[in-house]
Amino acid sequence: MIYSDIALDAVVLAILADLFLLRTQMITRGIFWLTYGLIFPFQLLTNWWLTSRKIVQYSPSEIIGRRLAGAPIEDLLFGFSMILLTLAAWEFFTRRMKARSQG
Amino acid sequence: MAHLSYLAVILFVALCAVSVNFGFRLRLGGYWRELLQTQLVILAIYLSWDTWAIAKKSWYFDHHQIINFDVLPKVPVEEFLFFLVVPVMTILSYLALLKLTGWKSQEAADDL
Repeated sequence: MIYSDIALDAVVLAILADLFLLRTQMITRGIFWLTYGLIFPFQLLTNWWLTSRKIVQYSPSEIIGRRLAGAPIEDLLFGFSMILLTLAAWEFFTRRMKARSQG
Repeated sequence: MAHLSYLAVILFVALCAVSVNFGFRLRLGGYWRELLQTQLVILAIYLSWDTWAIAKKSWYFDHHQIINFDVLPKVPVEEFLFFLVVPVMTILSYLALLKLTGWKSQEAADDL
């Protein structure tokens, strides 16, 4: 299991959590993709900062080797999974709170 | 100053977060419980993954560019702060865009 495998698994698991575990269906909503589109260039910017200065380096045997803005493309999968899971969890917890307060 | 290279990017994201929160009057602080719950989910998952990946040397850090304070075995505090700050910025971006577009979040739509 190298970074590429796990990053891909993370995306699949985040989507499954969003659709079936938390039932937030974020990936079916335009606002999610708009938010992702806004964050995406900022991810490239922070990736570029961290990799071009060699603050973080990746073991060549852990990645497939294709890069964007200095960072392994696997980072985009990681980023997508974390953004999706963050928003799905946020929706889940805020909905639960609102449902309770309406009692 | 080189030691602060990683911390600088975290500070940049944190400053964006504070600006967006107050600039758009989002009052995320009012939802501190839900924010904390979300952060615990993200921290548990991604810090575990990070700790494991660092242990097997999938990625490694330049010790001249971090402050060299570990929160978990070989996991720099900067990683922990990254997993704290980025979800906050993600939620703020989402809330700001909901406000800007006037689109309803799902639960608001369900109330109608």
